[in-house]
Amino acid sequence: MAYAYLFKYIIIGDTGVGKSCLLLQFTDKRFQPVHDLTIGVEFGARMITIDGKQIKLQIWDTAGQESFRSITRSYYRGAAGALLVYDITRRDTFNHLTTWLEDARQHSNSNMVIMLIGNKSDLESRREVKKEEGEAFAREHGLIFMETSAKTASNVEEAFINTAKEIYEKIQEGVFDINNEANGIKIGPQHPTTNSTLPGSQGGQQAGGGCC
Amino acid sequence: VDKIKCSGPTQDSRSVVSRFQQRYWKTKQTLIRVSGKKEDQHVVASDADLDAKLEVFHSIQRTCMELLKVIEQYQRRICFLSQEENELGRFLRSQGSQDKSRAGKIMQATGKALCFSSQQRPALRKPLCRLYQEVETFRFRAISDTWLTVKRMEQSRTEYRGALLWMKDVSAELDPDTRKQMDKFRKVQAEVRCTKRSFDQLKMDVCQKVDLLGASRCNLLSHVLATYQVRLGRGLPVGEQQCCCLQRSLIGHHKALSEMFVAMETNSPNSSSMSSKT
Repeated sequence: MAYAYLFKYIIIGDTGVGKSCLLLQFTDKRFQPVHDLTIGVEFGARMITIDGKQIKLQIWDTAGQESFRSITRSYYRGAAGALLVYDITRRDTFNHLTTWLEDARQHSNSNMVIMLIGNKSDLESRREVKKEEGEAFAREHGLIFMETSAKTASNVEEAFINTAKEIYEKIQEGVFDINNEANGIKIGPQHPTTNSTLPGSQGGQQAGGGCC
Repeated sequence: VDKIKCSGPTQDSRSVVSRFQQRYWKTKQTLIRVSGKKEDQHVVASDADLDAKLEVFHSIQRTCMELLKVIEQYQRRICFLSQEENELGRFLRSQGSQDKSRAGKIMQATGKALCFSSQQRPALRKPLCRLYQEVETFRFRAISDTWLTVKRMEQSRTEYRGALLWMKDVSAELDPDTRKQMDKFRKVQAEVRCTKRSFDQLKMDVCQKVDLLGASRCNLLSHVLATYQVRLGRGLPVGEQQCCCLQRSLIGHHKALSEMFVAMETNSPNSSSMSSKT
């Protein structure tokens, strides 16, 4: 599929906050109440249109479990946007945000756009973290903030798309160097500066595996 | 069973290279552990609850061993004490019977009390023997069974951590749009998932078994020690009573002795230095 830009996203946050569910809702418009534990990382992709341009979002949904922490750090590299997710019904997931933010800032490029997401907004009765607290945290650390529900799909589109808009603006402003892949942005194949890795390249695949 | 189910089909379809790679990472993890190199702190931290349980297990193992040694020593000492008491008692009785004074009577009474208590002591041996046997059985059955599970868990932990090392390695260069890299990643991901499942299962087994082990040891001790306590309680008051009587008569005797010394002192001025000593 042709696209003008490709943005690499990474979704981070404690285990069980609904990272994989957010991705599933965004890419498949589905909700799965019980989700398998993510092992390392899973991927998703979707095309969106901003300013009349086709943009492919390549989303890396990372494992939240602590034992994968060192592994997930290597996924930060070259991400243009990050979705930092916490669960509004679990105070501890909110308390861990600082650690996640430190991790993200340390292992990614400084221009990475970070969107703070308070997920499970449909569970109002079990809420432990007020919306104002999320807003205050975002303001303090210079993040965009949104409360979402992967279950009801509320604000899910907006969260992904607003992040993309922010990145797009930064490109327009010239903050991002689009020719440097370390920024997590690739220019689409129809541009003269085509990249070597085309989506769906069939180069030298080996049989075997296929057990997942 | 879970492990066989999970690794069986993949093992067959896995190429020689994959098996070799898997061994490589497992060996690498083993080397890291054996050489005491610093392991990934997050991986270590995620096993904190398990490691705490293992600490408890090792303490149970160690203290059971110590308890056995102590019981053995205790029994031997009881034997010696009983023998010594008996001999001292008999000696006092024979000496007392030759002495017609009040001191002789006291010596005889003391001797009798000592002989009696020496006969009471071996009664403690039976509940102690039972305790020894029970702890020994506990060690052979319960502890060794848990130990086997711990060993299997450690094996599985090495495999899991090896797989994590492997995953970290392939994650350094990963592009979801490159088929070859993704194939490789999926293979490693399957390996991590598989080893994780078996490790998580064994981790839970170990935690449950250690909890059970601690509880059953408490149960065992309170049960067996109850008879010991009863025996100890039955033997002691008798000995105690006799000793009290003796003490009373000794105090009386001591008064008589000091009166005697006072009398001696007034009679001979030379012995004043001697009497002041006593």
